[in-house]
Amino acid sequence: MSARKTSGGCLCGAVRYEIEGPLPPPSACHCGQCRRHHGALGIYTLAPAERYKIKGDRNLAWFESSPGIRRGFCRACGSKLFWERIGSGQLDVAMGSIDPPSGLKIGRHIHLDDAGDYYDPPSR
Amino acid sequence: MAQDDKDSVRARGHCLCGAIEIEIRGPLRDVVVCHCGQCRRQHGAPPSYTAALWSNVTIHGEKNLKWYQSSPEARRGFCRLCGSSLFWEPIGQGRVSIAAGCLVKPTGLRTVRHIFVAEKADFDEITDGLEQLPHSMSVAAASPPPTTTVDA
Repeated sequence: MSARKTSGGCLCGAVRYEIEGPLPPPSACHCGQCRRHHGALGIYTLAPAERYKIKGDRNLAWFESSPGIRRGFCRACGSKLFWERIGSGQLDVAMGSIDPPSGLKIGRHIHLDDAGDYYDPPSR
Repeated sequence: MAQDDKDSVRARGHCLCGAIEIEIRGPLRDVVVCHCGQCRRQHGAPPSYTAALWSNVTIHGEKNLKWYQSSPEARRGFCRLCGSSLFWEPIGQGRVSIAAGCLVKPTGLRTVRHIFVAEKADFDEITDGLEQLPHSMSVAAASPPPTTTVDA
């Protein structure tokens, strides 16, 4: 179980956030969009949007990567921060942006059928 | 440009929105996963990087490539429109690391090791049995082979 309050932000510090309440185990996404955006797996936990307090959001850029889905990153340093299904009321947050320790372990791997060919994806 | 350049392209890649396209001629280094704190923050997860000589890399749409200098020695290149991570460059060494996720399949690449495992985050799991180094690779190992084909 994660801490009751989680903090995090981008590499340059222009965007910072706090999240109230516990966070579920993250999912590691192997899809081509996540791998292309992150240059890594997309490893995200999530919380209701109203539990976030975001500072420096003028530096937060959004890219609509497919209809109804957008990805948030820092326009100054390029750090990947958020993934959102627009209108869902939920906001996914990239685990790498969380100030360690997160207290979380990966719960599942998803979109393994779209995994990269440069590694052996886990079998689960 | 020589007529047969098209045939000598080793790999192609692009960012998520397609504003930046890259072509790499010549050899690519095996893929290395970096678990350092800076990479984790910038990518949102531990990134997988191959590497090449800059002289073998062609970039289309370079006006959309933004650089962020993350330390005195290195800078990180990403698409200013979609935020995709593309490059990590040790400045002035004539080589660049390229995010494997941006490359079009089949890449013909294999992951061979994990580095900066001493900085690994608590959520980060390594289950593939590959070599793990606590910190960086040696300079020699970090450089792509200058003339040979891809080799482990």
